[in-house]
Amino acid sequence: MSEHADKSGISQAFRWFDPRGRDVGTIAFILNRITALGLTFYLFLHLIVLGQLAKGAEAYDGFLATIRSPIFVFGELLVVAAGLYHGLNGIRVGLTSFGIAVPQQKKLFYWLLAIAVLGSLIFGIRMFTA
Amino acid sequence: MKMIQPTSGPKSGENFWLWFLKIVTGLFIILLLLIHFVVNHFVAEGGLLTYADVVAYYRIPIVPIMEIAFLIFVVSHALIGLRSIILDLRPSRPALTAINWLFTLIGIASVIYGVWLIQVIVSRGSA
Repeated sequence: MSEHADKSGISQAFRWFDPRGRDVGTIAFILNRITALGLTFYLFLHLIVLGQLAKGAEAYDGFLATIRSPIFVFGELLVVAAGLYHGLNGIRVGLTSFGIAVPQQKKLFYWLLAIAVLGSLIFGIRMFTA
Repeated sequence: MKMIQPTSGPKSGENFWLWFLKIVTGLFIILLLLIHFVVNHFVAEGGLLTYADVVAYYRIPIVPIMEIAFLIFVVSHALIGLRSIILDLRPSRPALTAINWLFTLIGIASVIYGVWLIQVIVSRGSA
């Protein structure tokens, strides 16, 4: 447990988050996986909290009042952004899996990323100003 | 020299049909999510922002059917996807068998719970 080994361990960990020198396809894959995990977490959270509906009007409306705070709205924006990216990238992966648009897949990735970012921005503005 | 694989497909340990189902459910999720989104935010006046709104919305006969289909697709897609992530961690044979059973159980339990919840909401609207 020398200090040196510790330091290189940390820089190794940081290297994991460094997007430089990676393939576009690798970045697309990493984003797909991160959004997948986020959306799966949200799915089960969503199913659990919607159980408030069974408890009646007071419980559900009280719950809705709680999630109007900015931190929850930001969380919802992350879900929207993840959903946009994962859905659009999924179309690309689905198409290429069946041999469609394989040579254009990088271009498609840049386009879908642009749409996902722009879409998330529009949602963000609407969600925080409405 | 790096091997570049231009297309994706079933990975080892992933049955073709399971992989295919992941793509098909993904496509259905996009379609249903689009419909769900447009209906919830543009057709329903002011969105579904209260308990009463939700109960009224579920009185439309197609809604519970659509939501049940959506639930089944999303849960299947999420669990098949999570399983394929686990496959990348190279689980042992018994571990994979345990995961298969666990995920099947979670899937069935989630759908039963969701259908129960939908039925509760529908019954509140007809009472």
